[in-house]
Amino acid sequence: MAERSFAKEVEDLRIGDGEVFRGEGILAVTKALLQSGVSYVGGYQGAPISHLMDVLSDAQEILGGLNVHFEASASEAAAAAMLAASVNYPLRGAVTWKSTVGTNVASDALANVASSGVKGGALVIVGEDYGEGSSIMQERSHAFAMKSQMWLLDPRPNLTSIVDMVERGFELSEASNTPVMLELRIRACHVYGSFVAKDNVAPSFTLRDAMENPTRDYSRVVLPPSNYVHEIEKVENRWPAAVEFIKRAKLNEFLGGHKGKVGIIVQGGLYNTLMRALELAGLADAFGETAIPIYCLNVTYPLIEDEVKGFCLDKKAVLMIEEGQPEYLEQAVNSILRNADIQTKIAGKAMLPRAGEYTGEVLLKGLTRFFEEHAPRVLSIAQPPERSEPDIEEQRALAAQVPQRPAGFCTGCPERPVFSAMKLVQKEIGAFHVSCDIGCHLFSILPPFDIGNTTMGYGLGWSGASAFNSESSQRTISIMGDGGFWHNGLASGVGNAVFNKTDNVLVIIDNGYSAATGGQDILSSRALNKTKSTNNPIAKAVRGVGVDWVREVHTYHIAEMKRVLKEAMTTAAKGPKIIIAQAECMLNRQRRERPLRAQAIRNGERVARTRFGVDPDTCTGDHSCIRLSGCPSLTIRDNPDPLRDDPVAYVDNDCVGCGVCGENAHAAILCPSFYRAELIYNPSFWDRFRAGVRNAVIGFFQRRAEKRRLKYTFGESA
Amino acid sequence: MSEPRAIKIAINALGGQGGGVLANWIVRLGEKAGYIAQATSVPGVAQRTGATVYYIELFPEAAAQAKGKPPVLALMPVPGDVDIVIASEMMEAGRALARGFVSNKTTLIASSHRVYAIGEKIAMGDGRENAGDIEKLARKTAGRFVLADMDAAAKEAGAVISAALFGALAGSGALPIGRAVFEETIREAGRSVDENLDAFNLGCRAAQGQASTAAAGTADPRRASDAAPAVQPLLQRLARFPAPAHYIMREGLKKVVDYQGVAYGALYLERLQDVRTLDERFGGERRDWALLKATAKYLALWMAYDDVIRVADLKTRGSRFVRFREDVKAAEGQIVHVSEYMHPRAEEFCDLLPAGLAEAVLKSSFLRGALQMFLGKGRRVSTTKLRGFFLLNGLASLRFMRRWSFRYRLEARRIDDWLSMIVSAVGENYALACEIAALQRLLKGYGETHERGLASYNRIVSALDAVRREPDPAAALKGLCEAALQDEDGGALAARLDALTSAMAA
Repeated sequence: MAERSFAKEVEDLRIGDGEVFRGEGILAVTKALLQSGVSYVGGYQGAPISHLMDVLSDAQEILGGLNVHFEASASEAAAAAMLAASVNYPLRGAVTWKSTVGTNVASDALANVASSGVKGGALVIVGEDYGEGSSIMQERSHAFAMKSQMWLLDPRPNLTSIVDMVERGFELSEASNTPVMLELRIRACHVYGSFVAKDNVAPSFTLRDAMENPTRDYSRVVLPPSNYVHEIEKVENRWPAAVEFIKRAKLNEFLGGHKGKVGIIVQGGLYNTLMRALELAGLADAFGETAIPIYCLNVTYPLIEDEVKGFCLDKKAVLMIEEGQPEYLEQAVNSILRNADIQTKIAGKAMLPRAGEYTGEVLLKGLTRFFEEHAPRVLSIAQPPERSEPDIEEQRALAAQVPQRPAGFCTGCPERPVFSAMKLVQKEIGAFHVSCDIGCHLFSILPPFDIGNTTMGYGLGWSGASAFNSESSQRTISIMGDGGFWHNGLASGVGNAVFNKTDNVLVIIDNGYSAATGGQDILSSRALNKTKSTNNPIAKAVRGVGVDWVREVHTYHIAEMKRVLKEAMTTAAKGPKIIIAQAECMLNRQRRERPLRAQAIRNGERVARTRFGVDPDTCTGDHSCIRLSGCPSLTIRDNPDPLRDDPVAYVDNDCVGCGVCGENAHAAILCPSFYRAELIYNPSFWDRFRAGVRNAVIGFFQRRAEKRRLKYTFGESA
Repeated sequence: MSEPRAIKIAINALGGQGGGVLANWIVRLGEKAGYIAQATSVPGVAQRTGATVYYIELFPEAAAQAKGKPPVLALMPVPGDVDIVIASEMMEAGRALARGFVSNKTTLIASSHRVYAIGEKIAMGDGRENAGDIEKLARKTAGRFVLADMDAAAKEAGAVISAALFGALAGSGALPIGRAVFEETIREAGRSVDENLDAFNLGCRAAQGQASTAAAGTADPRRASDAAPAVQPLLQRLARFPAPAHYIMREGLKKVVDYQGVAYGALYLERLQDVRTLDERFGGERRDWALLKATAKYLALWMAYDDVIRVADLKTRGSRFVRFREDVKAAEGQIVHVSEYMHPRAEEFCDLLPAGLAEAVLKSSFLRGALQMFLGKGRRVSTTKLRGFFLLNGLASLRFMRRWSFRYRLEARRIDDWLSMIVSAVGENYALACEIAALQRLLKGYGETHERGLASYNRIVSALDAVRREPDPAAALKGLCEAALQDEDGGALAARLDALTSAMAA
């Protein structure tokens, strides 16, 4: 079960013709897929497209009714390979993932399907994780479209345009026998808006039809001589067909004015930001009306030569707004104009930053520079709305003062104690090289743990240390999450290590979910899932590929974790060593348990709730405990002792009682300030009786001691 | 073009504060009040404890109808063009300011409470950023600034901060939407409606400047006349010290008397006597008795060093039982079991033994090992149950033998050395003497923490000669102390000490 339930959104997928759909961009895409008569959908979760996967996962009933097969693929490569169904049959299919990371994983299959060509429309929906809030390397999916020759759609970021481009994308794919990529930036995926829906359409040719009437076409298989033919088909047939369709369907838009010596070419996804910048420059109104000619590329690959030439021909200079680098579009536009001997000046990266997200502020600066240089008159007659420029110096000074808030483990996260233990082991046996993976556990590289050297990709934690398969007095530790393990790690990490006889250590964090992407189920999840096979233990899998040294440790037992880690690092036993660190993701566990507990308390059942606390008078403000934990609920507050300078540790009310604070206090021999409190709800008679006796006895002694202390009181109440 | 424009709202929040819920409410609110609403965010990994910006634009539907086409709304705020900024925490208000979201047309609604960032929390001393500068700049920059502790308001109502902030948005009047529509929005959402409405009300009132500022600590803090007869002689002696030092010395006295009785208080005053005389001779009056005050403060902390007896005493007090019930938010009369995490080692045990015996044990690796087998593991002691309580109560009662213990002698010797260092430095450099006094700050905690601090302290003390030769010895010593608090493995301190000694050699 994913972190979020989409029960309400699933209902929105049912709405019919003329009704207004309200919701997130990525959910609008989901609805658009159903409106397009899609036969199958696959993908791998990850921000910003997780919700597409999650909502479809919750919508099995509707999908079944429409004969749509949905698959939570094992990886992006598996998802991309699904598109093979559209090679021989008129089946529409869509796959989705986070890009560029997912596209990297998928590109083997993508290149093959792009070479074969498709009969049924094939749509690849990529969530372009670029700019603010991104968690991955900053690259462009554009390169993949170019190298494999898939068409790339980049719609304007409003729900109507996005939905329209999904539907058109299938048509374009079929018209040109080419898979089509639809690129959505993070904010567009999450944008809340509305569009007028259509009825869902069940595919006229179903998967069953295909399976019962299989057809094959030797020329679609990527092997000589077909592979050579495919390349020629791409440039001679599919490309011209696509250009023809794009022109005819008017997928690109000529917006703004039609006169003037300057114009702007913009990627569709940046259109709204551009319009806001023009509005602030006094050159457009809130409805996007402007005298400046704008050529909006809802299709950024391929470029339509006639349209480009026509737009540029009568202009002195054109501003090319293209986010990220290299500037493929700018180069292509220049090449088109050069070949046509058109002398229009194309100003792109010369006016705008080469790298980084194009925010409103960035575009406003670029526009101003462009107009100053190429059409100063435009600015002189503009009437910008009032806007006060913030004081840059003051801002900078403040920015230096505002603390960073790196992502970290959630309150009570079971991964935290693994790294606490690792820190303690480093203190004993010295520093070691740590190869990280992708997942929540990668937060170990940030304070307070500062553990980890590299991260090479999902499931590649152990492979990332494979060069260190060498004689040494210190072993390396690699980390892998259960998500990464099933995605790629079993073969590329574990299999690789066994085959090459590594002597190093792998820690697999087995928290029961693909947690970082939103808590989706995976093969080794403990939960029962109606539509998926779960409860396939990781230990069985790694033993199956030939690992003998396998230990399963409960993550919260820090002392035990520390012992096993140390053993793995120092044992005389040669060969690959795997520690499976197990405990359920706390976010998911709380989501499941909290309502049950609340209900039990309401029902009058006896419930004991655990949480932790710190005594301020024995805490000396060194914060060792925080450096070993970093739990959000373990924080600081003013020292109540007027003689002490440093703030004391404090456990706030979000504490879920995971016990790591106490375990750390023991394992690291910290101060005795931590205490564990157990709060009893609906106590039994026996509870009350014992508490009564204890309170009476303890209270008596406490009052006696208090009386004694009163003899030395300085007058203030203690 | 004085055309209609969108109302732009940015929410700067932390993961888990309900920023998404607040954004959804504002969207619904806008739609109910006749606006076209668009909202975006970039949650991603920031959901996991990071800082996130939610951005909303509201555009009057009537204007769009009049025009016959929808507006083009932006997906991210442009600096200087945000009408309302809602910051769910003080540093997030700072971040909004630093990003230029706040201008003279902005209504800034900020919660004054702090959620400390990890960088602030892991400092070995006090790493907290100062929120004062942010408030100052906010007042200067924002068109309107609403500042209140929305977290407290939310907690009072048993809701999440988003509800209080939603209330503050209503109360600020920054949106031309009536309060009833706000409340209807909360009701329609249908989750924790009563709590959310309570928090909404409190937030709304806070924004209108009607916050019920809870009167904290109004009791008169000085009722000296209530002092017990046993401590009167100490107070009389205290009165003969310069008045500016009275407050600190009184607190110090309180601590040491509480620690080991009246005679120990007398020892405290006696130890300060020399410092006072010297302070006077070297211009203490002019300097507001800085040396006396510093020494009084740190001497009290040193004399009340933490040992097993002290911990057992503090853990078993009635006042502590009241406090932990408050801290864990136990309901009136609710049963709470508390257990302590104790990890006594041979060292801590020996601290309690008479000096000769302790030395013998510590010298013999056999005895030490045997002891360690007994002690060297973590234990959970339940103070709210009779066995645990009496165990700790028994340990606390060992106070009578503390002054003969190994640790007491050790600390007394260290204190004497420290005091003589202070005394011998005053004549030469007053500020340096104050910094020597402040070195005690390094000695905190128990177990490994204490050992680490003591090692830093010793390394600095043995470099005092080099410090003295610096052009500004006080600053140099302060720098060393800060370096010692920079990292756990002492790297920063070692580097600084190296620089110091190599400068001396050059």
